[in-house]
Amino acid sequence: MSEKQLQCTVAAGAYQKEWFAQLRRDVFESRRPYAILQADMPFEIFQVMGLPAVSNQWWSAVIAAKRLAPKYLDAMNAMGFHDGLCRYCSLSMACTMAGDPGQAPWGGLPKPALLSARLTCDCIQRVFSIWAKKFGTEFFALDNPGATELPPRWWELSRYRWRELFERHRLDFTVAQFRTLIRELERITGRKFDPDALRTLMEGVNRQEEYFEEVRELICNAPKTPVRMNEQITNVMAAQWLRGNEWAIQHAKCFRDEVKSRVDAGVAAYPAEQLRLMWVGAGLWHDTDFYTAFEQRYGAVFVWSMYLAFGPDGYIRYGLEDPLLALASRTVSMNEQLHLPPWANEWIVDQAKRHRIDGALVLTPLGTKPSAMGNRFIERALEREGIPVLPVFTDMVDPRNWNAAEMIKRVGQFIEERL
Amino acid sequence: MSESNSAAMRLAWHYENPMAQALEADRAGVPVVGITSNTIPWELVHAAGFFPVMLRPELRATPAADEYMEKNVFHARIRQIFDSVVRGEWDLLRAIILPRTSEQEYKLFLYLREVARERPRDGMPPVYLYDLLHSRSPESHAYGLTRTEKLKKQLEEIAGRPIATRDLVEEVAESNAARGAVRRLLRLRHDTPRLTGTEALPLIGAYWFMARAQYAKLALEAAEILERRGTLPGVRLLVKGAPLDRVRLYAALETHGAIVVAEDDWWGTRSVGTDIDAGNDVLEAIFEHYYSEAPSPRVFPPEAADRWFQSSVTDRIDGVVFYLPLEDYVAGWDYPRHKRFLDGLGIRSLVVREDAGAGGISLEAHEGIERFVREIARKR
Repeated sequence: MSEKQLQCTVAAGAYQKEWFAQLRRDVFESRRPYAILQADMPFEIFQVMGLPAVSNQWWSAVIAAKRLAPKYLDAMNAMGFHDGLCRYCSLSMACTMAGDPGQAPWGGLPKPALLSARLTCDCIQRVFSIWAKKFGTEFFALDNPGATELPPRWWELSRYRWRELFERHRLDFTVAQFRTLIRELERITGRKFDPDALRTLMEGVNRQEEYFEEVRELICNAPKTPVRMNEQITNVMAAQWLRGNEWAIQHAKCFRDEVKSRVDAGVAAYPAEQLRLMWVGAGLWHDTDFYTAFEQRYGAVFVWSMYLAFGPDGYIRYGLEDPLLALASRTVSMNEQLHLPPWANEWIVDQAKRHRIDGALVLTPLGTKPSAMGNRFIERALEREGIPVLPVFTDMVDPRNWNAAEMIKRVGQFIEERL
Repeated sequence: MSESNSAAMRLAWHYENPMAQALEADRAGVPVVGITSNTIPWELVHAAGFFPVMLRPELRATPAADEYMEKNVFHARIRQIFDSVVRGEWDLLRAIILPRTSEQEYKLFLYLREVARERPRDGMPPVYLYDLLHSRSPESHAYGLTRTEKLKKQLEEIAGRPIATRDLVEEVAESNAARGAVRRLLRLRHDTPRLTGTEALPLIGAYWFMARAQYAKLALEAAEILERRGTLPGVRLLVKGAPLDRVRLYAALETHGAIVVAEDDWWGTRSVGTDIDAGNDVLEAIFEHYYSEAPSPRVFPPEAADRWFQSSVTDRIDGVVFYLPLEDYVAGWDYPRHKRFLDGLGIRSLVVREDAGAGGISLEAHEGIERFVREIARKR
């Protein structure tokens, strides 16, 4: 991403880089343990146990942004893993398998004390098992029960009525697994789990997400978006991986303050904004410049991605008497909320209306098939509401089939013909 | 079949006409329930008074699925099931039960629910999720048992009558008899092969579409005649990879002098496992069987998932064929590990990256198979 309009975007990037450098120092010099987690894991538990955690998807995005994905994915294929296997969730593993930390971003991932993932798709248990074996470390899996009751407008129920929304038997099962995970973390860290500390952290997460909600409202209501989608993502995700801690809360507040001051001053991210676009799906990490490619010619600005919008709706939980149960409710249906019918389509349509979206680009990553599921329902729902959709068939981290010029042309045609 | 074997012919006919008995049951007033894979407890569904039938649609165009399902993402069979349900071809079904033991089936469940909400249509069968988890942990085990109890309640509600314990015991006995018959056929493939894989798959697969008592009778009759055959020569192969319910690949392998004696697949060798021991708590025994014995892509950890394969390949297997069709995005993760295991044992293997379900086997693949089989035969 070339231009950074917000100071807090620069601060977020710098903090993440320094956080990772410190992590490497701690691991190599002080032999401090850390964990690698799938993005939808309860990072909160690891925080209260004092075990730093790196998100698999974040690391994948870093590799892609450094344009290293083709090299690692080719190497993985050469090891006998065929080219139809998922890339987003395996790119970090591929980087480890390649065994050249000198070439990897920021020196690569050191050996973790634990890898952990929720078994949402059928592939992730395989990716993490292979990865753990390569590292010579343990993989802790959380199984993922299916949702059978999915009432309308989940985002109106998730803050206060989460106990009923997410089905009690699923929550209890998830809590039971959390307790086993906690015992494992107690063994690794030598610390005792403190439920009060988790409650305090969860309250912090609520504060952080409330700031994000304010930002979201500012974007919805300002005449023109005050902050580009790219910068939204950088600021939000830097804080989400550390959600609830002091830095994350403060960063969310700074982000809110800076966006608010821009709105108050009538500053737009792109003053000649004419059209508001939404990006549905994971970020296009190997080419984030794509998101600003339609501003000059069409005044088309990407305003929405799930990363900011999901923060308040997906994370806020009020009523924290049983913080583990509340955390289970935050964890157990993330996939359904973000990707699958009926919840994802309904929520994304609501978001599109609130953000005054003119057109949507929906990523269907055929190189990461589980992430492609649910998309037709989202596209159909948006079109039904009069929001034109352009499906984008490419991968979020693998640029091997990406032709930026061709895609920019296609989007231009979409804007000219449909918006 | 080279000899006159009307029982085998009838089994093969049911395999090719999977809805035949379901339609018959429907006409006779027995409500039919569709199931989508091996991890749905047949005994429970049948005990509730339903005729359970495995959904195995014909391979053909899927206009309804094309509207809702992402291309090249869902497996052909899942697309076909969705298409048939949405287009009203299976409105005779009283319900459809899908398990959580594969990601694709869970998503099929959500998709079908949503279509029913989006485009309500009289007659569209309601869908239920059997939330069986296949990770080996005390939590998943306990959860699975409660979900099995829930499934029992749901079936009782649909049927409008309770399921008695004695009914379950009877169903287990009937089902076990069919399992015994399948195992007899499996021995005829494996121990001293008297039937090819191409012949065996339909004979075993009919198990999923027929009344089990009738299946057991026919399968035993068929086995008795097949036992009189001489031993079939050929390179002994095991097939592993994506589930395969069509015989094209086997036919290609066997054309070149191999004989498929087993597959790590619930359509064949792994269809039945051992008997259910009704013992003290029959419901728990049924759950235990489907939790511990039924294969699925979600069995975890790999040591549990690999157990059958690792012990089977050491039992007189000359070579392994990995079936990894282009639509695969799961089994391919296991392939390098299995290949290393086989290399360690000196067992040769071959990867087939073609769609042997709907499509034909290419000339190139035929040539690869021919070389593979010839090479093994030369070294035997």
